Amino acid sequence: MTKSIAIQAQGLIKSYGRVQALFGVDLEVQRGSIAGFLGPNGAGKTTTIRCFLDMIRPNGGTLRVAGIDPQADPVAVRALVGYLPGELSLDDNMTTEAVLRFFNSLRSKRAEWSYIEELSERLDLDITRPIKNLSSGNKKKAGVIQALMHKPEILMLDEPTGGLDPLMQREVLQIIKEAREDGATVFFSSHNIAEVEIIADQVNIISEGIVVEVVDVAELLTRALRRARITFRQAADTSPLLSLPGVTLISQHNDTSIELQITGDMDPLIKALAKFPVIDIQTARPSLEDIFMAYYEKGEEEAA
Amino acid sequence: MGTIFRYALSKSRGAILGWGLGLLALGLLIVPIFDTIAEQADQIGQLMDIYPAEIFEFFGGLSDFSTPEGFLSIEYFSFLPIILGIYVISLASGLFASDEESGRLDLMVAHPLSRTAFFFGRVGALLVTLVAILTIGWLGLGLPSSAMESFSLGMGELVPPFLSLLAILLIFASLALLLSMILPSRRAASMVSVLLLVAGFFIEGLSGINADLEPLAKWLPLRYYQGGDAFNGLNWTWLGGLIGFSLLFILLAWWRFQRRDIRVAGEGSLPFLNRIRRVRRKNQRAAVR
Repeated sequence: MTKSIAIQAQGLIKSYGRVQALFGVDLEVQRGSIAGFLGPNGAGKTTTIRCFLDMIRPNGGTLRVAGIDPQADPVAVRALVGYLPGELSLDDNMTTEAVLRFFNSLRSKRAEWSYIEELSERLDLDITRPIKNLSSGNKKKAGVIQALMHKPEILMLDEPTGGLDPLMQREVLQIIKEAREDGATVFFSSHNIAEVEIIADQVNIISEGIVVEVVDVAELLTRALRRARITFRQAADTSPLLSLPGVTLISQHNDTSIELQITGDMDPLIKALAKFPVIDIQTARPSLEDIFMAYYEKGEEEAA
Repeated sequence: MGTIFRYALSKSRGAILGWGLGLLALGLLIVPIFDTIAEQADQIGQLMDIYPAEIFEFFGGLSDFSTPEGFLSIEYFSFLPIILGIYVISLASGLFASDEESGRLDLMVAHPLSRTAFFFGRVGALLVTLVAILTIGWLGLGLPSSAMESFSLGMGELVPPFLSLLAILLIFASLALLLSMILPSRRAASMVSVLLLVAGFFIEGLSGINADLEPLAKWLPLRYYQGGDAFNGLNWTWLGGLIGFSLLFILLAWWRFQRRDIRVAGEGSLPFLNRIRRVRRKNQRAAVR
């Protein structure tokens, strides 16, 4: 494992009795990057994260967090990591402040209280209120603060924006971005594909206990695969377009509208279209959602 | 470990206060009535002669009501292992499992603290809770008895039965803790431990009447609880045995906690109960359709 890799899993296998949850997860997260972890419910996202923190013990494979084996030295791993569980549960009888002070004392009071106050102000959370009086969204905010308050080297967040209103979702994403700018590595799971696409450098898609696709978001934006829907004023012979390199026909309607898939440069197509009576051109690239939904629907079909 | 110990102890404050004050009140209530009972010892004896001897055998034989030792043996130490036993089983079985089943443990163990420190921090708080409750109970008996001339038991003489009580409570607490590490839920651990406690109580009582139960009774912890008999001298072998087994159960629970997966909220039930719930949900869905 090179020093540039913060989080690594190789062939991670985990079973719960007769039920196998992970079938050999491979993933790598570069130091100082934000990596999203997408997958349908029950795909293995939470199980993978919990293996990294040695809460559950894998049946096979290797894990490294900042070069440390979590099973060999879990305390060292946890000292580096800020963790937000997906199913957050806090002591209802304590105030948020008491909960945060308790967690801070478990970390030898590493967090500066002024930073905790700053975070609670940004997230509009009154920390003097008892946990039992907080809404689920406000409890989530308390969870986010406890994960971030000691400015950890690595953040492992299981659905950090789940249950938050859109404004707070944006604020949490902004705080995560700032943590990355300060040098933290962020590994987070989410069901919100749009937020993952906005914030993440890399996206790991997990389905049925295995990472099926690793997408570099920057690469996705420039991926040379596009679709174009072209509408003509009158019926046109489109055969010159179909003979262009990298252009294939997807569908055609009444000779006035065609849908094409273009691999590579768009320039030859644009120049060829100059000779046609074009009313409208719509182009689209496959989004992260398209890629994710392809795996999700495949999983649903197999389950049915 | 100190933070976990303080946190766990703070969760027990209410229990220490509630149980402690309960025992204190019991002591303050029963000790002053000793004189009245002692004066009527002959009448009580005649009344007891009416009942079959087996009834008294069940409760470990007749004690002399006219002495403070016999009086406390019957009125205090005979039933406390059952009442306090059920409480300590509930406390110990939930020491980790209740936070685990609610999902709170997940976040706590994600902090830089070894499982060993976490385990012994909480077990330490459990032991302190038990000792604190019994200490208040001891004061509840000792303070009024010091004030009564006829009640010739000093504070020191009251210690041995409390030690015996502590040992029997420890063994059930440690057993419940161990079972909570092995069985799939807190409820299961609690149920099995209470069953052993109550069944043990009856088997121990009935073994005095039915000799066939004697071989079984020998294997149950309540056989080695002296209670009021400890006024005549502690059986150190019995006390050591109970404490030794308690330590063994605690170490086995620690060993298991070190190696097992931490469950998340919603997990932690018996497999057959899960199956029943699944079938019920399926039937409800079918009914809605």
